[in-house]
Amino acid sequence: MNLERVSNEEKLGLCRKYYLGGFAFLPFLWLVNVVWFFQDAFIKPAYTEQLQIKAYVKRSGLGLAVWVAVLTTWITIYQHYRSQWGEMGDYLSFTIPLGIP
Amino acid sequence: MDLISTKWIIHLLLYCLFHGVSCNSVDQKIYIKLNDTVPCVRLLNATHQIGCQSSLAGDVGVIHFLESEENLDWVLSTGPSPPYMVILESHLFNRPIMMKLKNSFSRIAGVAVIKPSSSPIQGFSPHTTCPNENTGVYSESYDPTLAHCNTTVWNPIGNGLSYEEFNFPIFSLKDDNGTEVIRQCYLNHNRVVNGSAPSYPLCAMELSSHMHAVTNTVTCMRRSSNGAFSLNPEVVCDPLGNNNVWGSTKSLNNTATGHSENETVVIAAARLDSRAFFHGISLGAESSASGFITLLAAAGALANVTRENHPPRTILYTFFQGESFDYIGSSRMVYDMEKDNFPIDLDNIHSFVEIGQVGLHNISGLWLHSDPVSRRNNSIDTEVMSLTDVFQKVANDLNISLNLSDVSQPLPPASFQRFLRSQPIPGIVLTDHHTHFTNRYFESMYDNTEYLNLTFPADLPPEQQFTYITDTAKGLAKVATMVARTLYKQAGGADEMLASINADELTVAQMLYGFLVQTKNPWFEAIIIPEYQPLLGPAPPEYYVGVITNNTFTTKLVSYVLANLTGIAVNISRENCTNHREFADDAQSTDMNSYLWVQGVTPPNGTEPEGYCVRSTVRLTQAQSPAFLLKEYHSSNYSTWSESRWKSNIGARIFLVAGHDLEMLTLGVGVAILLISLLLTYFVNSKADFLFSSGREPANATY
Repeated sequence: MNLERVSNEEKLGLCRKYYLGGFAFLPFLWLVNVVWFFQDAFIKPAYTEQLQIKAYVKRSGLGLAVWVAVLTTWITIYQHYRSQWGEMGDYLSFTIPLGIP
Repeated sequence: MDLISTKWIIHLLLYCLFHGVSCNSVDQKIYIKLNDTVPCVRLLNATHQIGCQSSLAGDVGVIHFLESEENLDWVLSTGPSPPYMVILESHLFNRPIMMKLKNSFSRIAGVAVIKPSSSPIQGFSPHTTCPNENTGVYSESYDPTLAHCNTTVWNPIGNGLSYEEFNFPIFSLKDDNGTEVIRQCYLNHNRVVNGSAPSYPLCAMELSSHMHAVTNTVTCMRRSSNGAFSLNPEVVCDPLGNNNVWGSTKSLNNTATGHSENETVVIAAARLDSRAFFHGISLGAESSASGFITLLAAAGALANVTRENHPPRTILYTFFQGESFDYIGSSRMVYDMEKDNFPIDLDNIHSFVEIGQVGLHNISGLWLHSDPVSRRNNSIDTEVMSLTDVFQKVANDLNISLNLSDVSQPLPPASFQRFLRSQPIPGIVLTDHHTHFTNRYFESMYDNTEYLNLTFPADLPPEQQFTYITDTAKGLAKVATMVARTLYKQAGGADEMLASINADELTVAQMLYGFLVQTKNPWFEAIIIPEYQPLLGPAPPEYYVGVITNNTFTTKLVSYVLANLTGIAVNISRENCTNHREFADDAQSTDMNSYLWVQGVTPPNGTEPEGYCVRSTVRLTQAQSPAFLLKEYHSSNYSTWSESRWKSNIGARIFLVAGHDLEMLTLGVGVAILLISLLLTYFVNSKADFLFSSGREPANATY
């Protein structure tokens, strides 16, 4: 789909759908939302729906940031302490690397 | 795309498919694969990992032949092209050098040890000074003064190398041609002349032995079982284990397990396995083979007399596997006896005679060891005294110098210790040492046939070596006669029969040849089952215990020899014999006896060997540590040793490496070409209208 050829109302509907969809533990939808509508929200000259799109993009961005922070923290902790956790570390793992603790 | 170019591409693909071999030849031009290498692998117990491993893709280093210990500086600090692959002559494979290499592992890619041609005079043992220290009977609770070899250090020259963990791969190079290729490659490219660094290209070696298991047995067994989320649970380690071999002078009902009424048994035991730093080269000629060959010969000497005049007590011959690794075999047999999973239980045992290392009895005589703690009990003490009296009387008759060790001295490492752990039993361990081992190469690769003096006259043709009776064979036959007579007397046999019990020197000589020189010989060919014939070869069998899933041929071989020496040939058809029955509807015989259809010998006028059926009491029982049955992988009572698994690409190869500068230059040129081509494409693309002006209007983008 090319955003250039879509009306502003449709854009708002789309942006809203992506924003709501992100709440279903799908942070990538928020990422797409931010990247896709960034120009429409902040750079394009003002139009009626821009304020709402701006709000959705901002919130999507915030949600994305929270996800990134949480995931980064967890992955760092997991990678760092997995071997020390011993049994629990193994039970938390989908794949266990061969030959390292 | 037109038809012709498609056809060409298909041709090209087919060519690549069918000429894959030609792609291999590039591989062959770069690498020389080394044959006959033996890796050091990773073993784990309840708390530790020992052994060696490489990285996943294998470790590469510039070859350096270590000529002397002073030469080590080049590898450890001054050499300009680390990491180094150190090639050691076997006399430099000792603890100080290996620990220096271990401590500077950032400069060491790996170590290759050239298989020895001669043994170090000062002795070498990579085992610990106190073998099986924590799983024998002498714990703090049994007698604090005897724990941890406090009074007698059995293996004082033990340096513990076998129990170290190395972060780099270590291989043994067996093949002489292979080592010569490495030496030539080293001399041509890597040799340091007048202290100046050699120039590239340099000769390098790659060793790969990546191990899957890590940390300890608890961890690797947990990872081998299904984890909660694990997507691809993979077995990463296997418990060490094998089979024990046992046989008795009188049939014991194998299905009526547990305590056997009116049955008293004299156990005669020996250890089957041995180990070394490299598991593949662990002959254990003195460590274990001298003992079990003596016991086999004694069993052979007793076969006829016990069949005709069976003594009141039964003699039970047992050959324990995995004793080097915290008494796997004996601890399992004791466990089975306690759990009523064995034809007899511990209360049926009258006394215990164990044959330890006896091959070097010429050096310091033979010694009888007993346990001072259980002898504090008067009745046990009396029994032990009477057993030693029998031994000494028999030894006197045979002119063997037999000594008693001090009453206060504990038992040397022996399977008997595992029985004493469960209950006091009168018993004796027969060895060729008083305090510390006479064996200077305990559990090492030097414990070989030369050390046992098993050498043949130079002009003797190889096929006659098999029947040549060496002095070693004569000596061991004498010891076997003594053991056999003692066992018969101890089992309550009559004195007048003793003189007729004699171990056959030729049998001992043939066993020494078969078990220590090569398994392919006429006797072994005749006494094993036809299916195993291909396993006989021009080398001795492997004495490393191995893992439970992969039983070694060695155990089977010992059971066949025992069956041949103690069993009798019976006239039973091959079908009935392989089904363990005397006749078609016979369901009882299999409980009492085991039947073996063996290859037999080829008659002088025939072409096919004539097989026959052997009836014996020889059986195999599992020798897996009870720790793995009970899933107590952290157990301190039982052996917890396990062996890591590895991928099949374990091996070594040599090749030439280019210098760092040349590598960087090649990479740089590659990256530059990529960037230039990208720029060029961008440029051409942006000027496409101008460059490819065909007059056609560019189509508008439609979506």
